[in-house]
Amino acid sequence: MADTTVSLAVRSAPPAPSQAPPGGPRGGRVAAWIRRGGLSTLVIALPMLLCFGLFSWFPIARAVVMSFQFTNLVTAPEFVGLENFTYVLSDPLLPVAVRNTFYFAVLALLFGYPIPLLAAVAMSEVRRARGLFAALAYLPVVVPPVVAVLLWKTFYSGADTGVFNTIAGWFGAGPFPWLQHPDWAMPSLVLEATWAAAGGTVIIYLAALTSVPPELYDAAEVDGAGIWRKIWHVTLPQLRPVLFITLILQIIGTSQVFTEPYLFTGGGPANSTTTILLMIYNYAFGGRGDYGAATALSLMLAVVLAILSAIYFRTTRRWSTT
Amino acid sequence: MSGPTTGRATGQMIDRGIVSDADLRRPGVRRGVRAVHAGLLVALVVVGLGPILWLAKAAITPTQDTLRAPIEVFPNGTDWANLAVAWTRFDIDLHFFNTLWLALGSWAVQLLIAVTGGYVLSVLRPVYARVLSALVLSTLFVPAVVLLVPLYLTVLDVPVANVSLINTFWAVWLPAGANAFNVLLVARFFDGLPREVFEAAKVDGAGPFRLGWSIVLPMSRPIIGVVSVFAFITAWKDFLWPLLVLRDPAVQPLSVRLPALQDYVELDVLLAALAISTVIPIAIFLVFQRLFLSGAGLSGAVKG
Amino acid sequence: MKSRMIAPLAVVALTASLAACSTGDDALTPADADALADEEVTLHVAIDEGLEEEAVEAFETRAAEFTEEHPNITVEAQEYTWTGTTFAADLAGGTLPTVFTVPFTDGRGLIERQQIADISALVAELPYAGQFNETVAAAGQSADGAQWAVPVAAYGQGIHYNRALFAEAGLDPDAPPTTWEEVREAADTISEETGQTGLGMMTSSNTGGWILTTLVYAMGGRAEAVEGDEVTATIDTPEYQEALEYLHAMRWEDDSMGDEFLYDWATSHADFGAGKIGMMISGGGDYGNLITQNAMNPDDYGVTVLPLEGDDAAVLGGGTLAAVDAKATPAEQAAAVEWIDFYYMGKLTTQEGAVADAEALTAQDQPVGAPILPVFDQETYDQSQEWIADLINVPLEQFAPYSDRIYDQPLAAEPPAATQDLYATLDPVVQAVLTDESADIDTLLADAEQQVQTLIDRG
Repeated sequence: MADTTVSLAVRSAPPAPSQAPPGGPRGGRVAAWIRRGGLSTLVIALPMLLCFGLFSWFPIARAVVMSFQFTNLVTAPEFVGLENFTYVLSDPLLPVAVRNTFYFAVLALLFGYPIPLLAAVAMSEVRRARGLFAALAYLPVVVPPVVAVLLWKTFYSGADTGVFNTIAGWFGAGPFPWLQHPDWAMPSLVLEATWAAAGGTVIIYLAALTSVPPELYDAAEVDGAGIWRKIWHVTLPQLRPVLFITLILQIIGTSQVFTEPYLFTGGGPANSTTTILLMIYNYAFGGRGDYGAATALSLMLAVVLAILSAIYFRTTRRWSTT
Repeated sequence: MSGPTTGRATGQMIDRGIVSDADLRRPGVRRGVRAVHAGLLVALVVVGLGPILWLAKAAITPTQDTLRAPIEVFPNGTDWANLAVAWTRFDIDLHFFNTLWLALGSWAVQLLIAVTGGYVLSVLRPVYARVLSALVLSTLFVPAVVLLVPLYLTVLDVPVANVSLINTFWAVWLPAGANAFNVLLVARFFDGLPREVFEAAKVDGAGPFRLGWSIVLPMSRPIIGVVSVFAFITAWKDFLWPLLVLRDPAVQPLSVRLPALQDYVELDVLLAALAISTVIPIAIFLVFQRLFLSGAGLSGAVKG
Repeated sequence: MKSRMIAPLAVVALTASLAACSTGDDALTPADADALADEEVTLHVAIDEGLEEEAVEAFETRAAEFTEEHPNITVEAQEYTWTGTTFAADLAGGTLPTVFTVPFTDGRGLIERQQIADISALVAELPYAGQFNETVAAAGQSADGAQWAVPVAAYGQGIHYNRALFAEAGLDPDAPPTTWEEVREAADTISEETGQTGLGMMTSSNTGGWILTTLVYAMGGRAEAVEGDEVTATIDTPEYQEALEYLHAMRWEDDSMGDEFLYDWATSHADFGAGKIGMMISGGGDYGNLITQNAMNPDDYGVTVLPLEGDDAAVLGGGTLAAVDAKATPAEQAAAVEWIDFYYMGKLTTQEGAVADAEALTAQDQPVGAPILPVFDQETYDQSQEWIADLINVPLEQFAPYSDRIYDQPLAAEPPAATQDLYATLDPVVQAVLTDESADIDTLLADAEQQVQTLIDRG
């Protein structure tokens, strides 16, 4: 049973179409339909219908409508054609925000991809007290994200006596400006984000590593493979699916990053940490109340993310069926 | 959750890994492996535990010491009053319970929707199931960010009901329920259950309610555990959405309240407040460690 | 600018309920208000965020006095401090208190878009309605001159300084700098001698543009030129250039501006209150905040006027408007005006109100009598200070460098069009100059001017 959970969870394909819907109305007879449980089924479906209807389908439709409107919630909305889109596309901040978001994603991959992998590979060989290792790695994930950001904000003090600058001083380096320089701010943000998230990635890799069939290692040893060759020719290829998944997920996740730039720097210094989501927030809630521009930008971002999600789902489906 | 699921993820007992017993018998390899493990342990303690220990220390250190000598341990004694000030002046208890309440409510709503939805889509399968399932699936491809503004406007004035949910917990709970991922996860799980059992129950005259309550629900414990962990963790970490819809400090969770407080409080008191806010989730984590770690392992297979 | 099209009915219905919050067309008349005078009403009023317990108690004393006078009104205090980055969300979400305050910069826009209630008929009935200083009153008036929002405080920008740090650095706390060159030297000395920040500069949440523009005004420049209906951004100018180069020199040649360059209003005041900043440019009326929210030692506080250099140099002035939520019912609006009259205006206009306010504050050890700019004329202001002369507990002599001269300085209003947007656009410019030594000031200013013009035109 429990093992089914795991393998099922991996598969996220839509449910197979049912050949013969057992509860459907036939011949339009309401009474028969009720007797067969049609009404009860509808009642059971109601919470989902209401919840998705009000808080998902309706807002999505509304987003599409709003992106063609000028609205500030006070005066009646006006249809303005593509003006919101052209306004957003001509906003000089947009290329900056796109670049920053990409930069965040790339840095997050550089920091957050290889290190957890190495840690997980090493950890998978721990034979005793692996729980301790895993718990230590996961600990930062448990710290509430806002607490983590505010704590690291203290660490990042630009003063000579800041926490990180003191530590850097032991090695004769620094003081570094951390959040106080356009070139430093983004890496600083990513460093904290990586600290806060890497534990989760480690655990994911660890789970994947433990499911590598031992026979593969046995077979490799029969062929005379050493430890490094086993890692290179057995472990990594076996991890490829999960590596790809975390890659896509990380890109989707980082393109929606908000908490870090909002709380660390407010997008500064000099817009060096303004991300797309921060831009959306600022359009809508940052003073102008320009909801049309905000939804227009959201939609454009959504299209890009939907493509990535589609790739993700196709890939996971393919792997789960092979 | 039952044992094997967690065991699979944390891997307490596995037959073998990359390094074979034969490898280990070679002294060079053994020493190398040990060194790697020792280094890893030190790194994990410094990186994983270090900042949290520093926070614990700073919580009871006067501001000036933290600013001038942040790494030294209590150069001028401790200041336990910080904790009391943080607790009383900032109603940490209130905001903590708000956080907990928000997470519990979101969890309950998500579970209700996921289980009933999954049940309808996978087990009951009315004629409209295919359309419904496609509609639910399609929302998976719409990232949360697109919904930010229109969902906010919806919560301001809920269609049909014409009420504003702003400053109520419902503003967080209800939208949390519209989580396609949970619904599909449960539906997948139900797909794997033996249909003969359901058919037999139907022959015995069980309607959709009885079938769900007495047959399907008891079989869904594992998946309920998985959904619960996801739901709870997501709700606990949420920041942007509560920031938008919970403007009244009296209903704000810690994640929204703490950044607002940093403007008004001295550093030592702020750090004390941060420390208090961290203790509870860490305690919960240590108690339910296996559940968390297996959930995290699973999430890699399915979600970010 | 925006093409008008007839919206499909469904969409109108969908959004009409959202739009139906304006009450602009049916303003409340005094007769209506009289009829409502006895109606039971609960009034949500703004109270500053993060106040010390004593300050909250002083507020509650005043509220109790108010409800004694108006037994039909129940006052509920709601934490609120205007912040540029969250105000729009609060406004849209309908989560503002019924009576709230906004800076002068926001008055015109809120009135034009009818996002606040039209209480002008009730305000006109107040005994002091016609006595407001004209420029001050204009901030809360609609195009036709109706007073929709009530100016409750005015300030001229000044330089706050820390007397303890001045003394420690060997500077005379009673003789603060009087030219920008002296400000620079003082900042350098403070940072050399004490290791603290010489001049702290706000740069975030629109404050960077605000303080930069303050410098520009004091150096003889202006941010916008108005000709009829045409508003032109004038940012790519020698004055902005000069102001930024001044900051650049202090940051990179003297290194006298500390190591925090992302200050917003609250964090800069917190650090100033904690004694980490030698000098800081901000509104002249910030003493109360520094003492009651940021626990500053009153002995350390000093304030002086901005040096004015160049032709047409002026002090950037601003202030606070009290406004009423657009969705307030007539009864709430009537009660709200009573509250504004009692809480914000009473202390400025009646002896009774002034004394009661001062007594409530002194009872809780809160500051009383810090000099500010008059919202009426100088005489009314002097009169109100006289009423409470015995209760004044702030060290007036420490305010002397400011209060002796501010009333003679030419005061200029903030840029009229898209003010907060202009400030917001200049934030990254200031941040760039302070965090990147090789920042290209010419390009930054040219780009900023273009962006501000776009925002002015988008409306």
